[in-house]
Amino acid sequence: MKICAILRLVPDLVEELEVEENEVIPFRYMPNERDEHAVEEALILKEKVGDAEVEVIGIADPDNEADLDEGLGMAAAKGADKLYKVILDRPTFKRAEVAKALAEFLKDKNYDVIFTGIQAIDAFAGNLGGMLACYLEMPYIGGVVEVNSEDGKLDVRKELGGGLLAEYKVPLPAVIGVVSAERPLKFVPFTKLRQAMKKAEIEEVELELPEFEGIEVVKYEVPPEPEITLLEGDVEEIADRLIEVLKEISVL
Amino acid sequence: MKVLVFGEVIDGEVQNITYELVACAKKLGECVTLVTSDADVSSIDGRVIKVNAGEPNPWHYKIVEKVVEKENPDLILFGNTSVSVDIASQLSAKMEMPVATMVYEVEGGDGEVKARSIAYGGKVIVELSMKTPAIAVVNVGSYEAEEGKGSASVEEVSLEELGVSDGVEFVSYIRPSEEDVDISKAEIVVSVGRGIGDEANIEMAEELAELLGGVVAGSRPVIDQGWLPKTRQVGRSGKTVTGKLYLALGISGATEHVEGVKAKNVIAVNTDRTAPIFRISRCGAVADIMELVPVLIDKIREIKG
Repeated sequence: MKICAILRLVPDLVEELEVEENEVIPFRYMPNERDEHAVEEALILKEKVGDAEVEVIGIADPDNEADLDEGLGMAAAKGADKLYKVILDRPTFKRAEVAKALAEFLKDKNYDVIFTGIQAIDAFAGNLGGMLACYLEMPYIGGVVEVNSEDGKLDVRKELGGGLLAEYKVPLPAVIGVVSAERPLKFVPFTKLRQAMKKAEIEEVELELPEFEGIEVVKYEVPPEPEITLLEGDVEEIADRLIEVLKEISVL
Repeated sequence: MKVLVFGEVIDGEVQNITYELVACAKKLGECVTLVTSDADVSSIDGRVIKVNAGEPNPWHYKIVEKVVEKENPDLILFGNTSVSVDIASQLSAKMEMPVATMVYEVEGGDGEVKARSIAYGGKVIVELSMKTPAIAVVNVGSYEAEEGKGSASVEEVSLEELGVSDGVEFVSYIRPSEEDVDISKAEIVVSVGRGIGDEANIEMAEELAELLGGVVAGSRPVIDQGWLPKTRQVGRSGKTVTGKLYLALGISGATEHVEGVKAKNVIAVNTDRTAPIFRISRCGAVADIMELVPVLIDKIREIKG
């Protein structure tokens, strides 16, 4: 079985974002957490199937491609067999452009399963998985938390909300949108990661994005400040004030 | 403006998001709702097109495509839910329509739609302009549901008439385990997020919850780590808490999390003063939970004797 997982970069929200009317400037980027789960689930499926290989396709643009190396190194340390770094020719917020370009790149690679995270914090103009599936003319299912291979199909569990799941059978090849891998992300010690990053052979590919019209950003802005006054400073004083509030609402 | 609402049905029940989207659509103009599963749709206001294609399935985008071709709406509304996002994303690619996701407000115009999305973990508002026909994927809770006012005129269409099918097969629903405590029924919930840092620190939250007579819950990162069982997850994929107090410790408050927070009082503690959780809080503290919570526990113990 030939398995692929997509790994995108998103702004690291631990750091301050600079928000200007026409752009959002992150301090740095990190792997999209849902894509990390997609990579993990790809590796889990490989373990289950046995005779399988996992190729991880990292996506970045010229401004942030260096931030991808650690994520790809991590995938290699966990057992990915091949790594690609796909560098888009320009940044874009339009997921359809990325999906279309990526579909062109993937269409001859004969993957049986393509895993991607179901969402990204900067995906305000479409979700990659469903679009990619459509351009590749493959079935798609998102919200997936477990995948098994059975009789040439995938048996998947999808979250429907409120704790309810549903089981589906998906013919191959298919695109699977992962919300969470069925086990926690495997911990990789720093030394093993460094070794993997040194050894990893990453094939770089440049992709030209098509231009899609019909949607534009009018402006970016920071949401209004919360209406409450935030408690700050000495923890003893904050704790005293919280206790007052707990009394006001009859919890204490 | 003509608006087509994708009506979401799970296990034979019309989901609340459908009524929210109908309320949104009615503000924009003429509303038609498409339902692709068998359900009682009599509570939906306005015209309903019903295609019984079985339980929710991502391939139902092909049904929506056929209906869009026939109805020619200016805007198609989907809920930002697991079922509907699958359909919206495929439909937008298939019909080459612009799509705005994470939307909380939509305005109609002449040949265009303006959508406001909350992105970057709730830290940035993005105003988008789309040429019609367009798709908007609207967050749960953005519009007040209009349920029960229905006078649905229902038009049933068969799959054969539409000539669509697909290979993804629904097998069954898998219902959540009822062995654990039901956090949706708890009056007091102490909930932990990424800021808890380590599994060992969950004990501290449990101690606080016990002192307050509540239960411990968590946001997705904590559940993903396996530090708390899935039954304790608050948010879109987990449970909705509706009790007296939701004490959010180290939770940033991403949209998919706050969708599950309907408690009467929210108190949040986070080191990031721009954390979106503060926007739904009655009281917020900018502090490290690892420093604050032990002090709080000691003080509550003193009070309780």
